[in-house]
Amino acid sequence: MAQSFDIPDSTDWLDTPLSLLAPLENSLRCQICKDFFANPVLTSCSHTFCSLCIRRCLSNEGRCPTCRLQDQELKLRRNWIVQELVEQFQNAREPMLSLAKKEAARLANGGDDTQQPLAKKRKVGQIEQDNEPEAAESGSQRMRTRSRGVRVEMSAQVEEPQIIEDSQDDDEDFVPEDGLYPCPLECGLRMKEAAMFSHVGVCTGQKAPSPAKPQVTFRLPAINYSLLKDGQLKKKFRELGIPEWGNRSLLQRRHTEWMNLWNANCDSRNPKSKKELLKELTIWEKTQGGAQIPFASNADEIARKDFDRERWSSSHDDDFKRLIANARKKSDAQIRSTIPGASQGLKENASAPARPMETPLEKSDPVVIDSDGH
Amino acid sequence: MASSVAQKRLFHEYKNLSTNPPEGITAGPVSEDDMFYWEALIEGPGDTPFEGGVFAAELKFPKDYPLSPPTMKFVGGGVWHPNVYPNGTVCISILHPPGDDPNHYEHASERWSPIQSVEKILISVMSMLAEPNDESPANVEAAKMWRERRPEYEQKVRDEVRKGLGL
Repeated sequence: MAQSFDIPDSTDWLDTPLSLLAPLENSLRCQICKDFFANPVLTSCSHTFCSLCIRRCLSNEGRCPTCRLQDQELKLRRNWIVQELVEQFQNAREPMLSLAKKEAARLANGGDDTQQPLAKKRKVGQIEQDNEPEAAESGSQRMRTRSRGVRVEMSAQVEEPQIIEDSQDDDEDFVPEDGLYPCPLECGLRMKEAAMFSHVGVCTGQKAPSPAKPQVTFRLPAINYSLLKDGQLKKKFRELGIPEWGNRSLLQRRHTEWMNLWNANCDSRNPKSKKELLKELTIWEKTQGGAQIPFASNADEIARKDFDRERWSSSHDDDFKRLIANARKKSDAQIRSTIPGASQGLKENASAPARPMETPLEKSDPVVIDSDGH
Repeated sequence: MASSVAQKRLFHEYKNLSTNPPEGITAGPVSEDDMFYWEALIEGPGDTPFEGGVFAAELKFPKDYPLSPPTMKFVGGGVWHPNVYPNGTVCISILHPPGDDPNHYEHASERWSPIQSVEKILISVMSMLAEPNDESPANVEAAKMWRERRPEYEQKVRDEVRKGLGL
């Protein structure tokens, strides 16, 4: 869990000489999920969000989160240029950031130019104090020189893998990692060496439709839930292939989430398969839907073979004692209401709680004591 | 473990707040195992009777965050303010979802929206400390005192702040 805290963020730029990239990166992030735009779409009011984020918002509230104008998901339009900007920025991010960090480290160690670190620090402050003309100018100059440096580094990085690829092609003994060779007639299929000969005999060189790419293009319509009875709704769920358990409100929430996942996927240039979407629905089910397990990790632990019963029972001693006390109180009340005067005898009976209803009077199962940790 | 949208977004906000904290504000999850429960420290704004005080608050996030807003509650008491319930719960418009307006006075534009953030909430609370809104007081006594007997109100706040600091 702790590693998740080290997520890429616009603040990564702040301690580097490229601190002006922080606001740029911020504008390439969705204000709802704070991540880079994923399948960005434009609302009627010209605000851009991830397709999935805005769909969830609209199905929740029906308004744009930024300006609160009413909008409908049918009116969302793809914003290709933003998607391209995000993709290109993400490609360039790693090399730029590592360069910027190297530079920051060099400057922190004194560098070769002692004036620079001071200037850097002043730059950030100046912008905040609205000393715009000077700061902006020096900032943009610095940006220009920086980005030229970055471009050199990046082009070097881009070339590298190509060189490796060339050398692989020349290599006669080249064996692909997965043992599958591409068809020499370029039909796009890959197969084992043994299967190649029979394949080449029948191959037309035409690209076969790739089975991995699902054609998810039709969108799911919204359902007016109040028009459907439970049975009809469940039938719909079966048609969609999504789980149909749970009460009415859970069913509606699940369907809305599925519709949002599905339709957002339609906005993607590389749509995911239905299987992947179902996996995402399962995550939703576990975190927000009907399958929220508060102690999921504990449940796994208990199921393990080497489960430490001693430790578990001692650490949960209080809980067990409380449960036993509650059960005892309940059974006590029960007995008092049916057999007057019998409660005295029960108090001495240590292990009554597990079966208060069946054996209210006399000794009960000794195995139950285990749960008390003894 | 698969993490939800809410968790990811809270990770982002936490990182942002810890690397680039606004002045007078510290906030983060109490334990990294539970991203839905945060603690925040807010400095009393200058030139107000709250100056010099440090106020601890807990933030609880719903599972569908950021669609729904978190709740915020000052812990340890000692915040005598028209917009803070006697039990510490903060009542300001940014924490109210647009659909529900019990007081019929808040503009939708001031209320919670998924593009708001913990940082914006805490900044709003700081300015709320400086400028109470007595249109819908959460603490009627404090609001009355603020409106009618301002010096007494300010003295009480200062006393609470000093008590809170253990002076």
